[in-house]
Amino acid sequence: MKGTDRVAAVGVGYSTTGRRTGLTSWQLAIQAAKAAMEDAGMGPEDMDGVALLWGAAGPTDGTQDTVEPDDFGYMLGMSPLNWYGTAGPAYIGPAIQAVAAIKAGFAHTVLTLRIINQRMSSKEEIASQAAMAEPRKIPGDFQFTLPYGSVSSIQQIAALSAQRHMDKFGTTEEQFGAHVLAQRHFATMNEDAIFREELTMEDYLNSRYISEPVRLLDCDYPVDSASAVIYTTAERAHNFKQKPVFVESASYSSVKYMTFENIDDMNQNSPFHAAEKMWERTDLTPADVDCAQLYDGFTIIVFQWLEALGFCGVGESGAFVEEGNTAMGGSMPVNTDGGACNVGRRHGANFAIETIRQLRGGQSGERQVKDAKVGVWANAVGPFSGAMLMTAE
Amino acid sequence: MTSTVTPPQPAPTQLTQFYWDALTRHELEILRCQSCGFYVHYPRPICNKCLSTELKPEKVSGRGTLYTYTWAAQAFHPYYVDKIPYCIAVVELVEQPGLRVTSNVIDCAKEDVKNGMELEVTFVDAPNQQTLAMFRPVGASAQEGK
Repeated sequence: MKGTDRVAAVGVGYSTTGRRTGLTSWQLAIQAAKAAMEDAGMGPEDMDGVALLWGAAGPTDGTQDTVEPDDFGYMLGMSPLNWYGTAGPAYIGPAIQAVAAIKAGFAHTVLTLRIINQRMSSKEEIASQAAMAEPRKIPGDFQFTLPYGSVSSIQQIAALSAQRHMDKFGTTEEQFGAHVLAQRHFATMNEDAIFREELTMEDYLNSRYISEPVRLLDCDYPVDSASAVIYTTAERAHNFKQKPVFVESASYSSVKYMTFENIDDMNQNSPFHAAEKMWERTDLTPADVDCAQLYDGFTIIVFQWLEALGFCGVGESGAFVEEGNTAMGGSMPVNTDGGACNVGRRHGANFAIETIRQLRGGQSGERQVKDAKVGVWANAVGPFSGAMLMTAE
Repeated sequence: MTSTVTPPQPAPTQLTQFYWDALTRHELEILRCQSCGFYVHYPRPICNKCLSTELKPEKVSGRGTLYTYTWAAQAFHPYYVDKIPYCIAVVELVEQPGLRVTSNVIDCAKEDVKNGMELEVTFVDAPNQQTLAMFRPVGASAQEGK
């Protein structure tokens, strides 16, 4: 079977993004897919594969569209499909599946998407969801955690590991804040960002705790959104409108698929394994990277990725951020689109898109990293995660 | 507490029923490999150290240290609306490195909760709900703190 040595990203696109968009999951997915096709300058006849992950938050009343990759390909006029897939985690799953399918020769050009239909946008809606859930019996491993009030990902993924990082390494709340301020500054230069006002450390420290030490400003912003990226073979990469950006290396990791509370090491888990494997598959090193887009579902996740990818030593992410390394003009600009805290929750897809735009050059306005040739993006944390290293031609 | 709302309740299976039955008797039991002695938590039908499938629940001491914790400041479930801030804790049991349970630290002032502190199990019963295994500082008595 004929595969390809290299895979390139040739199109990116977003749907309308925000709260209460009134758009269904199908509409969000269609908007993002068409935006990516237009960006690439291609039609359905140019694509032969779909990989996507759809997720909806909030009460499920059975009236929602479910976005399935085979059905979605048909909707967009892509039929027959040579290949389709659906996999997590988040957006890195579909991205790596697409790259693998193209490398293996199952498909030559794959449309990938992450679609999030948030639905819940107010305290009242959240309360009504909780009320609907009563009385609730918890199956599986969560039966050992939820009865103790560990019920939110903010507690499970963010707060427990942030507290441990502080206790083990002396990381401070101001260091978390330094990251929040630095990525907000990038957001002020991004017209796609929802939050574009500069923040001060006082603003950060006045932000309320959700679960100590995690504050509201440490959490990404839930929105309705769909994001799309199109990947193709090196042979076809130059047939389209944009300068191709190449996948240099990528990795998935799963260290233990249980609950976040019971993971072996709360501060060094799957990102460390994923990063090790990603670097093993390339001759490039952390010193070659011009910018990094690191999943910021919560601030502490960015800190783990900085350490895992080798941009700083284990336990040193707090000082690394505080010294300004990750800020505009720093040695390793991080989340140059403003991150999901500011552009809205896209489960990693925004980081693929921002990496591609930075490496195309000239598409990131004032926040463009000068002469960016190598970028890395990373997604998820804990039991499962992955990373992708990309290069300009 | 006048609310009739309960915390989320477990849905035990054949594999996990022993754990909840033990808590009701005020005992903490963990599944243990009968071949190599490894404690397997959460319960699984195989020991991932030696692949033996001979596992049995065994009572553990209920002593441990605090691995990490958080004070929940926002309620994400109706039961916790009048209970915030409460302390969610991950406790490493003395029986085996890395053998951890998710729980709550109770009977301890907020400023005294520290990672690494020594804890002991205490069983908390409430009407219409499963008995839970919570933890308090070794030697603490009930009602000392929040």
